[in-house]
Amino acid sequence: MRVEPFDTSRHMAFTRRATIMSGGTLALFGGVVFRLYDLQVRRHEDFRALADDNQFNQRLIVPLRGNIYDRYGAVVATNEQDFRVLVIPERTKDLRETLLTLSTIMPLTEREIVSVMDKARRQRSFIPIVVADNLDWETFAAVNFHSTDLSGIVSEVGTARSYDPDAGAAFVVGYMGAATSEDISRANREAPSTEDAEKTELLYRQPGFKIGKAGLERTFDANLQGEAGSIRVQVNAHGRVIDNYPDTSVAPIQGEPLGLTIDKQLQARALEILAADYGEYPEGTQEPHPVSASAVVLDVITGDVLVMASTPAFDPNVFSRGIEASYWRELNQSPLKPLLNKPVAGSYPPGSTFKLLTTIAAQEAGIAPTTRFHCNGSFPFGGRVATCWKKEGHGPLDMEGAIKHSCDVYFWNLATQVDIDHIADVARRFGLGETFDLGIGAETEGTVPSRAWKRAYYRNDPPNQTWFPGETLSVAIGQGAVTATPMQLAVMSARIATHKEVRPRLVRAIGHELIPEPVFGELGGETEHMTVVRKGMNAVVNEWGTAARSTLLPDFQMAGKTGTSQVVGLKRDPETGRRLRNEELPWRLRDHALFVSFAPYDNPRYACCVVVEHGGSGSRAAGPRARDIMRSVLEKDPGDGLRHDLWSGGSVQRVARLGDTR
Amino acid sequence: MNAIVIEAANRSKVRQRLSELNLLLLVLLSMIASAGVMALYSVADGNWSPYAMQHGIRFMLAMSVLIGIAITPLKFWLSVAYPGYVAALLLLLLVPIIGDTNMGARRWLSLGGFQLQPSELMKVALVLALARYYHGLDFKRVSTIFGLIPPLAMIGAPVGLVFLQPDLGTAILLALSGFSVLLLAGLSWRFVVLGMIVGAGGVIGAVKTGLLKSYQIDRITAFLDPDADPLGANYHPNQSKIAIGSGGVDGKGYMEGTQSQLDFLPEMQTDFIFTIIGEEFGLYGAVVLLLLYLGVFFTTLQIAMSAKSHFGRLLSFGIALTFVSYVLINTGMVMGLAPVVGVPLPLVSHGGTVMLSMMAGFGLVMSTWIHRNQDTLRTSGFGS
Repeated sequence: MRVEPFDTSRHMAFTRRATIMSGGTLALFGGVVFRLYDLQVRRHEDFRALADDNQFNQRLIVPLRGNIYDRYGAVVATNEQDFRVLVIPERTKDLRETLLTLSTIMPLTEREIVSVMDKARRQRSFIPIVVADNLDWETFAAVNFHSTDLSGIVSEVGTARSYDPDAGAAFVVGYMGAATSEDISRANREAPSTEDAEKTELLYRQPGFKIGKAGLERTFDANLQGEAGSIRVQVNAHGRVIDNYPDTSVAPIQGEPLGLTIDKQLQARALEILAADYGEYPEGTQEPHPVSASAVVLDVITGDVLVMASTPAFDPNVFSRGIEASYWRELNQSPLKPLLNKPVAGSYPPGSTFKLLTTIAAQEAGIAPTTRFHCNGSFPFGGRVATCWKKEGHGPLDMEGAIKHSCDVYFWNLATQVDIDHIADVARRFGLGETFDLGIGAETEGTVPSRAWKRAYYRNDPPNQTWFPGETLSVAIGQGAVTATPMQLAVMSARIATHKEVRPRLVRAIGHELIPEPVFGELGGETEHMTVVRKGMNAVVNEWGTAARSTLLPDFQMAGKTGTSQVVGLKRDPETGRRLRNEELPWRLRDHALFVSFAPYDNPRYACCVVVEHGGSGSRAAGPRARDIMRSVLEKDPGDGLRHDLWSGGSVQRVARLGDTR
Repeated sequence: MNAIVIEAANRSKVRQRLSELNLLLLVLLSMIASAGVMALYSVADGNWSPYAMQHGIRFMLAMSVLIGIAITPLKFWLSVAYPGYVAALLLLLLVPIIGDTNMGARRWLSLGGFQLQPSELMKVALVLALARYYHGLDFKRVSTIFGLIPPLAMIGAPVGLVFLQPDLGTAILLALSGFSVLLLAGLSWRFVVLGMIVGAGGVIGAVKTGLLKSYQIDRITAFLDPDADPLGANYHPNQSKIAIGSGGVDGKGYMEGTQSQLDFLPEMQTDFIFTIIGEEFGLYGAVVLLLLYLGVFFTTLQIAMSAKSHFGRLLSFGIALTFVSYVLINTGMVMGLAPVVGVPLPLVSHGGTVMLSMMAGFGLVMSTWIHRNQDTLRTSGFGS
């Protein structure tokens, strides 16, 4: 069939349909234009607000941490410029390749590369990762020079916590570390509102941000941390910052400074003295001896801890920068326990220093200080014979003489007449078995034995053990179960010196607020009972007593008491049965050497305790060190407010530092 | 001697045909493509590469294809209509066998470093073949069952193949342009209404029987409930609405669009290019672009009306309707009026095959214009 090439009917149909469809098309275009009007005119404001929400963001600015000062305002902890290198995974072509290239410019181990790669897998790729920090200037400059060729590598100057290495303050201030997920969830729980919690979490997740992990850094973290600032930034859809607007920023507030009671100079001097060789071991008797010692000096009027020294110590800077595993192992495994905060966490049998408390307990039990007992070198008790440290015996002694010569037999005689629970009561009153809430954590209570203590201690093996009078004999001379920390013993001598309820403190000021100096109340018991104790302590040092070599006369009159406490029972030669001298024993079996003191004798201001672990003898290892520390303290007289300008607290600073935002 | 005369005559014929090109249409198309170059330059943060320069070059090439097609006699295009359709159908059949997979869909054929999307070529080939069919069909038989079966088959085969790729957007467009030619050919309204009912049933059936991919269903339900799933299926339409809405009446300024420049809309060089025009040039810019598209549409309508051959009329207006279908679906899609089905904005979106197929289509329109007075196109064979 042939179709007419010019078929009018189908042309007319086409024209009709084309007209209808053109009209339809026009109508649909009208609809599109109306939609444009709807979006761009009628609802323009809403959409503009949404677009702004999309692109603008508040970013945190990390605040500077508050400084920590000693009592005169000398810096103990501050913030230092930290040269560091970061990598932004998103901007690298290949993260591993980039890091390998970087390792040709700066030292970078395979382990470090792997750890950066691990981190990169766990977070969004535009968040920078710290590759290395605390770089020296040369390395930093080299990376800076090459970073233009290394896409994604950024070198920047941040801040890091830095501790004065001379202050020896690791155990006081503690150290810093990156916030762990536990830290973040704890902060979240403690935050007053969800908004605060979010802000804290954001701050904690900033690269390079550290929080206090130990010591005062931890206890006063909230004060030291400061308040994060904020800045309005423009971000893209991936959250990367495109631009920022400093005009609308809120400057961060630096954390409050902290003022310590510590005297940095004396602290350094004390550490020197502790570590020095005092010849307590005759040459050639042992391998070169290590010194593991601690010292505490208190101001007995204010309770200020002037010195809290522990040796060997570690460098808190190392902790803040991330410690290497090998160094950590070394610290952890050393027999000298460099990680132990010995002044408050080291507990030792107080040895003869405890006799001071026995004296007080005996007087309270009605025994007059003039009561005499004869020492012939041995004391039979319960079918056994105990020997005084002086085998020849001390002859007849009164209380003062017994303290002066530290006669064991005299105190054993007292122990037969004084109840253990009474002794424990006195010991607690004078600071033993107590922690002082110094804010550094780690404080240990030690042990003050009593009947109740024994029942609790041996709950199950077997239960309900009774106290044997023989045990009171041990406790009376500071042996047996009784233990105390150097801090507690320093408090004990301060309380003996003043008969006041002296409590130590480490922090003088938080921010611009000086913590008022405490006024201590009278201690329980009779002040007269102190007289014989003080006299005895004076005799120990200044009247040819056991610590005669530690006298500071004629310059100062220091009163003290030696202590030599056994670590294990009597050590005898396995063949001859001869009692071995300390020098003949391995270091870790030797006696601890202790010395407690206060000065000046007639008007006490400072109390001191020195403990030399396995030092052998209190009079040889601890006494002379305490003497030298006390001489420095007395010469400087840090408690004299007229001689020294004490730090009066610092004002809170608003620091406009916009460098650290991301 | 004779050969020289013929050659000279041919040359003068070519020159004469070139002089008869519809300049208005060419200018309008060039203006649209220029808008595309501008938008793509902005998308690339003010860079000629990777989109803007390539887009411009492609347009030049496509323009020469257009002119080449335009000066070829309409008779020729009539004669290759069926073979061309069959060739396009074969290419479509090849896609599932040797095609490249991109973002989960197999749509592309690699031809020696050059990627081709056969479904795009099919759009022109389908209109061409349908125009050819109705050109040779007695008007009285248009609305008969037997007259309807061949065109339905011609539409159904490529629509089905493209749908299975899966490329819902192109399948819808193919169906739309096919049925619009049927309408133009004067298909009885009864069949139109019937076809709509069947079509609606087909869509419901497709959803029910799981013929649609889950992401396609997501996009459709997301379209029906724009507030749901703002980071998932509704992320693109929501962000593009924010972009266009925040542009306001006069826009944020060229290259100042925050939504587009800050990557809130990924891959916007393709289907969501209209948002950058709405955001940076505002209502004015968007309306101007729409008017350019309407200009092309009405110029083509005028060409179709002026053509004496039924083939030329159906062909030109079929192309014009395909063209505006793109525009309407795309703009509706970016403004939340239509589900996101992956339809580009012709001559503006970055993409070679769509540009080529549309310009080839307008080459046919132009050929119709140049040869508008040839009314006695002889046909033979199928449908004649």
